[in-house]
Amino acid sequence: MQRIGEIIEASTTRFTAGVYELLAAPPFGALVRAVTRSERLAIYGLVYEIRTGSREPGGRAIVRGRTYSGRELYDAEIYAENPDLAEVLQTEFSALTVGFCEDGTIYQYLPPQPPPVHYSVYGCDAAELARFAAHSDFFRAVLFAPHIPSDELLAAAIRAAARARPASRDYLVQAGRELAGLLKDDYDRLTALLRRIRP
Amino acid sequence: MGLDLAALSRQVREMSNTAARSAADTASRAALARERYLAGAGAEAHWARAVELSRTTASWLLARPVERLDTVRALPERPPAYAVIATDGSQIELDRHGSVACYLINIGQVFIRYGQQPAARLSSRPLLAYREEDLYVSDGARRVAIEGNYLSARRDVEEGLALAALADEVLDDGVPALALQDGTLVRWTLAGAERFVQDHFLQPYLGYLEHMRARGIATASYISRPRSPEVVGAIRLMFCPDVDVPAGRGARCAECSDVRAGRVPSCMPCQGLVDADVLGERLAEGQRGPLFSSMSTINVERYAEHCIHFFHLRVGRELCRVELPAWVARSPTQVDLVHSLVYDQCARGDGYPVALARAHEQAVVRSADRRAFLRMLEGSLARAALDGAVSAKRASKEFSRL
Repeated sequence: MQRIGEIIEASTTRFTAGVYELLAAPPFGALVRAVTRSERLAIYGLVYEIRTGSREPGGRAIVRGRTYSGRELYDAEIYAENPDLAEVLQTEFSALTVGFCEDGTIYQYLPPQPPPVHYSVYGCDAAELARFAAHSDFFRAVLFAPHIPSDELLAAAIRAAARARPASRDYLVQAGRELAGLLKDDYDRLTALLRRIRP
Repeated sequence: MGLDLAALSRQVREMSNTAARSAADTASRAALARERYLAGAGAEAHWARAVELSRTTASWLLARPVERLDTVRALPERPPAYAVIATDGSQIELDRHGSVACYLINIGQVFIRYGQQPAARLSSRPLLAYREEDLYVSDGARRVAIEGNYLSARRDVEEGLALAALADEVLDDGVPALALQDGTLVRWTLAGAERFVQDHFLQPYLGYLEHMRARGIATASYISRPRSPEVVGAIRLMFCPDVDVPAGRGARCAECSDVRAGRVPSCMPCQGLVDADVLGERLAEGQRGPLFSSMSTINVERYAEHCIHFFHLRVGRELCRVELPAWVARSPTQVDLVHSLVYDQCARGDGYPVALARAHEQAVVRSADRRAFLRMLEGSLARAALDGAVSAKRASKEFSRL
């Protein structure tokens, strides 16, 4: 898969990357892989927030649809007519760290170090996603992560993982069972989650 | 503590009242000056000669008419695709109470291409100047410190050189291009300097203009809300009783016949007026006024084939001044190109050229960066075992003792 961005902030539990192409962040719930200083180690994260704004601290975009000369510009035309926008705006995404891959083996717990700032982030193709989602130990880390839309994130990740394999339905059923175990004492939350991944 | 806002607000109110009173007076005098100015249309050669005759003896600034005085040129059609490059600079002058003698110049560089293949590149390049030749201009015997006005001149030179380098790097001949700078192209702050100081700054600066001329790139600068009274200077000559072009006599303010006869000088209606007061009323949105060449001493004596010309352009409420070297001004297609592209840049930038606004954003050093730079400097000097501390006086200004 291709390189999509660069780490601009990292901690043990999550990392943020700026993308090379404005507005072209991976979708919510997507699995991404950050490389590290060691070729043997790569870190996996699930995209939980995407935002686009000014590169300048405190800067804000202005409304540009009605131009000064009275000409009206909309949507993609605004970017085509103002090529400098791509240089002053930045799209970035944050990912929750859900595991890592060391020497070809996937571990679904936190890595020893966060990915280094300025190192590359790659998207994951269907095969890599299917391989990562073969185990569901990461469900727990997502469900109990604070300050993020965790149920939405897990549901999106499960749906994506199901799409990445031929037997989608089987995977969803299996994921549902796993969730039932994790949320056995919170029936309301469980049913809301199950509705989001219903085949 | 220190600013008594109650006392200040009274003075601010008084100032506003005075400004409101003088506005009406300015408008009526501007109308008078405009009437006289338009009466001179058709006799540009005559007034150009009068300006030349008065250049060294008039006590005010002058502009020499190049086009008919009543010229009003509509906005030419903009090419569908074009490229613009711009540079702007900022400086941090370390006061002598700081650690070592040095200054920082940060140059913002912008390239934007519009049309079928839109593209943009924004960057900045810092330059730390600390060598003997960065800090002093010397001709062997004399040694002049580069600070204040001279530091601004150094920055202007760096902006120009960066623009020339940028042109080489990013402009191909595929689409029409404009190289734009902020402020004036006339380095008048050097007018009073000694010859070797002028040479030090002007040689590379004129070298940059020469580079652009050789490459045929339309080069211009943009002055927002200009306060210059150069055209008004030419109008003063129209009022002056002493100007006699056939006899080869220009205005001689030191021997003003009105003053000698105990009268108020005839040019008094022009007192305090600026070019925009006179020309602004005639120009509708996007229109430009006539071309003039600036008669400031340094321009006339040192710029040669780069002699700076200018016209005024209406952009919304504002009348801006666009300056261009003679080799651009002489080519009607280049003037039209500058006219349409500067206006387009303003239109895209809500009244101020986008490229210049972006260049400024790139050049400006924010206070956090400034602090980081100073920390870096002091840390590095400390490691180099030099006394990197600030003087006691500056320390006392930064920390009040409680």
